[in-house]
Amino acid sequence: MRKILLGFLVIVFSFPVISQRYDRMREAMVRNQIAARGIKHQPTLDAMRKVERHLFVPQRSQARAYDDHPMPIGYGQTISQPYIVAYMTQLVDPEPGDRVLEIGAGSGYQAAVLAEIVDEVYTIEIVPQLGEQAKQRMNDLGYDHVEVIIADGYHGLPDKAPFDAIVVTAAAEHIPPPLIEQLKDGGKMVIPVGSPFMVQTLILVEKIDGQVKTTNLMAVRFVPFTRSNN
Amino acid sequence: MDKRLYIAIGLLSSSIIAFQLVLMQILSISQWSHFAYMVISVAMLGFGASGTLLSFTGKWLTRHIAVALPMLMLSTALSMAVIMYLSELVFAGFDSYLLFLDRSHILGLVTSYMILFIPFLLGAMAIGLVYMHHVSRIGSLYFADLFGSGLGGLIMVFMFWQFKPALLPFVIAMLPLTAGLLLFQRKYMFGLGSATTIVLFCILYGLAYPPALPMSQYKSLSRSLLLPEAKIVETQISPYGEIKLFSSSSLRFAPGLSLNYTGDIPIRKALFNNGNWYGPLVDFNNPDSTHFLDYATQALPFVISQPQKVLILDAGTGLYAAHALSRGASSITAVEPNKAATDMLNRYVPIPKDRIRFINHHSRSYLMSDTSQYDLIILPVIESFGGSSGINALNEQYLFTTEAFGEIWNRLSANGMMAVTVWHDHPARNSLKMLATLVEMVAKYSQDDPELHLAAIRGWGTITFIATKENITEKNIAQIRAFCKTRNFDPLLLPVIRPDERSYFNQLQDNTFLELIDRVMTEEREAFYSAYDFQIRPASDDKPYFSQYLRLDRMGKMREIFGQGSVPFLEVGYLIVLVTFIQIALAALILIILPLLAIGFKGGSRWYTLIHFSGIGIGFMFVEIMFIQQFTLYFGHPIYAAAVVLSGMLIFSGAGALFTQKFVIGKACMAGLMVAIVILILFMAFFLTSHLNASISAPLFVKILLSILFIGPLSFLMGMPFPFGLRLLGKHNNHLIPWAWGINGCFSVVSTALATIIAVETGFRNVMFIAALAYLFTMVVNLRAKWN
Repeated sequence: MRKILLGFLVIVFSFPVISQRYDRMREAMVRNQIAARGIKHQPTLDAMRKVERHLFVPQRSQARAYDDHPMPIGYGQTISQPYIVAYMTQLVDPEPGDRVLEIGAGSGYQAAVLAEIVDEVYTIEIVPQLGEQAKQRMNDLGYDHVEVIIADGYHGLPDKAPFDAIVVTAAAEHIPPPLIEQLKDGGKMVIPVGSPFMVQTLILVEKIDGQVKTTNLMAVRFVPFTRSNN
Repeated sequence: MDKRLYIAIGLLSSSIIAFQLVLMQILSISQWSHFAYMVISVAMLGFGASGTLLSFTGKWLTRHIAVALPMLMLSTALSMAVIMYLSELVFAGFDSYLLFLDRSHILGLVTSYMILFIPFLLGAMAIGLVYMHHVSRIGSLYFADLFGSGLGGLIMVFMFWQFKPALLPFVIAMLPLTAGLLLFQRKYMFGLGSATTIVLFCILYGLAYPPALPMSQYKSLSRSLLLPEAKIVETQISPYGEIKLFSSSSLRFAPGLSLNYTGDIPIRKALFNNGNWYGPLVDFNNPDSTHFLDYATQALPFVISQPQKVLILDAGTGLYAAHALSRGASSITAVEPNKAATDMLNRYVPIPKDRIRFINHHSRSYLMSDTSQYDLIILPVIESFGGSSGINALNEQYLFTTEAFGEIWNRLSANGMMAVTVWHDHPARNSLKMLATLVEMVAKYSQDDPELHLAAIRGWGTITFIATKENITEKNIAQIRAFCKTRNFDPLLLPVIRPDERSYFNQLQDNTFLELIDRVMTEEREAFYSAYDFQIRPASDDKPYFSQYLRLDRMGKMREIFGQGSVPFLEVGYLIVLVTFIQIALAALILIILPLLAIGFKGGSRWYTLIHFSGIGIGFMFVEIMFIQQFTLYFGHPIYAAAVVLSGMLIFSGAGALFTQKFVIGKACMAGLMVAIVILILFMAFFLTSHLNASISAPLFVKILLSILFIGPLSFLMGMPFPFGLRLLGKHNNHLIPWAWGINGCFSVVSTALATIIAVETGFRNVMFIAALAYLFTMVVNLRAKWN
């Protein structure tokens, strides 16, 4: 009985310590991995500081949640490298009042970061198990302005269109035409190309006066290195 | 007993080579082929380790050989049978995909090494023990060993068509079980009988309840199975791999589609090979003449011409054939080596055979033997969406060499053209290498300015190049510009191009990529190849590694630029071979030194033993790898060619070994043999390619006869030095036999990785020269040897 009580006390008293440890890790992540690599968009930096990334990864991986790489979350899916999440967020330039669509909710981390900045986030997940987990997580963390929809993201959400920004986290070898249609004029869409465990590039799609243009943003993982060496 | 011993050795050797091929297949399905290569290379070191173990335990085992030998064979059978169940333990929580990301997966890798190593160790110990005990009959025993191995390779070609990969280990395990039973002696009936019962039970249980093959969750099939209404419609097993027909309501495939496309993508079914994406099933009879590929950069050749006669190389499931059909081509030849995939395609999709002809053949070999002229030749897409991170770096891609492009150019009609599409990559590699290959082709064969014959357009994800026999006209340029404008593509290369039109719809962060493209077009491109940080010099038949971009001399710089630990993300394929080589070289060194603790470091003929058995190990394997490389192209069917070459070499080598049984060995005899081997190797290095090319269109039986003519004599001679060496040792240094067996095993394994590295860095011909050098050096040492 004394042992159980002792264990309980250790857990209760160590909770703030663990929590503080994650705060410090998150701060270090923003400082060393994100700001140091040239992310200047203040709302993005603030959101990355606020969202508790370790709550979006499997429990056994929580200690490494703030490391500078993607992490497996099961079902062949990953939670992106923190820098990529920040870079994609900065690229779509979200603002309060925006309506954002995300394709590929995964753990829900990218949606949570966006939700710290904008008013409405719709995130679609095709894998039911992941979708249910993301839904539960959003409820638990109080993100009531994030709607997780379990469906085929190819069709987007015509009922909620147009969107100020669309973030595609699960890339395909073609960009679904319905998503281009549902992008607001002046809106931005960002798509990663390539496996998260290999060299990824980002494609930024912009709709300007009805015309669609893209920008190839090179190898994301190495952006600061390649740019400085060019 | 004699006959039974030979049959037992033959059966055991068959099972070992068959098991190696099955493991390769299973690991390629479950994980990835480059991982399979690494694991099996290490597992094969079991041959080297068997020599080490025999050095310590050989005397004891020889005293108890009546029990030890059948027990070793039964243990080999048991380890083969339980490997599938043990592999479930290995792959629980382990994924080679995460190897370079999460160091905890290294433990899984080491465990898989250990488990897969056991059957090879036990099997090789049984063979080594027989050699120790019956060294006077080494020639005929070695014949049984090699003949059995050769037969094992041939049997597997048949077995891969008949049995599911998960069942094969159990089927193969029956061979060493039978071998063990053949050597039973009545007085040990109880012990051996009990062991047999256990092994037999494991085999029968496995055949009745074969375990499921665990598949990496990151393989494209695993991920596709998560899609709505996903199901496997049919599975076809074959030596080419496990082909699965997959369907899902959410499956769509339209690579690099224009952002202006608004229609449907009507694909619901696709083929996967060994869990990897193979191609979509498309409708060849769509009455609607529009095709979604009209909205991809791949439509470029049809923008400026209406080709009637089209050749599609490595056609896969016929996506480009369907597109060419929709554009009015009247005669389409689709060359695809994977027969199992084409058979499945034929079963599920009605193909208009009057206009499309599928040919099951290696595309390059087909090009070499074909004499037709085509209006358009389409090559397969280079790399995959998002890059493959160099997984294909060590695949021999004979379709993308300068020689292949020359043959393509010669197959084009007077107004014909070739087309090839690449995915964007960064840092730029495949697009530059492809352009370099095209430029060199046009410069060499048209004797004209390449700029007048080349055009390319760029979308958000893909670049399509065309090379035309005639000059690209102003009308063509206008057509390409108009097409780009309607599809949101940008011209990348035109005989006349404005800087502002090259990145209008698809912008780049800066102009670096465009400048690199322009540098390839200049006369100074050779200097550019040398200066660039990646290997972008066109591939050749001697170094047919188009997708190999990593330069060893720039590894330090790569680490500096991209960060420590980032190189695997650029090109994992070549890195795997380098890592494998280092691992097995270190392990081999330990395995070779360890027996000296038992047999002593000095005296006898240690140096000669080391050099003789390592030299012939290197020489044999280097020649074998070169033969497989040359004959794969010659036969046009990689798997059958490998089976014929491997089996031919092993059987002829076995015959050579048998021949030695009749001779008394002397230094002069050995020296003469080595000189003959060296001369034949040099002959092959200089003349084999040209002789094979001259007869590439000959009927199959002529090709087989010619192959035997080339492979036979050299293999026959190469089968002799090993039994000669063992017999010499047997005279005065019997205790060194297990060490020699281990050395030969270690160097055979190390040589496979080393040969690949040498081929990548300096070309296949140098692999042959080094093989000749290895034999020459062995000869010199033999002349000076004091075997007593």
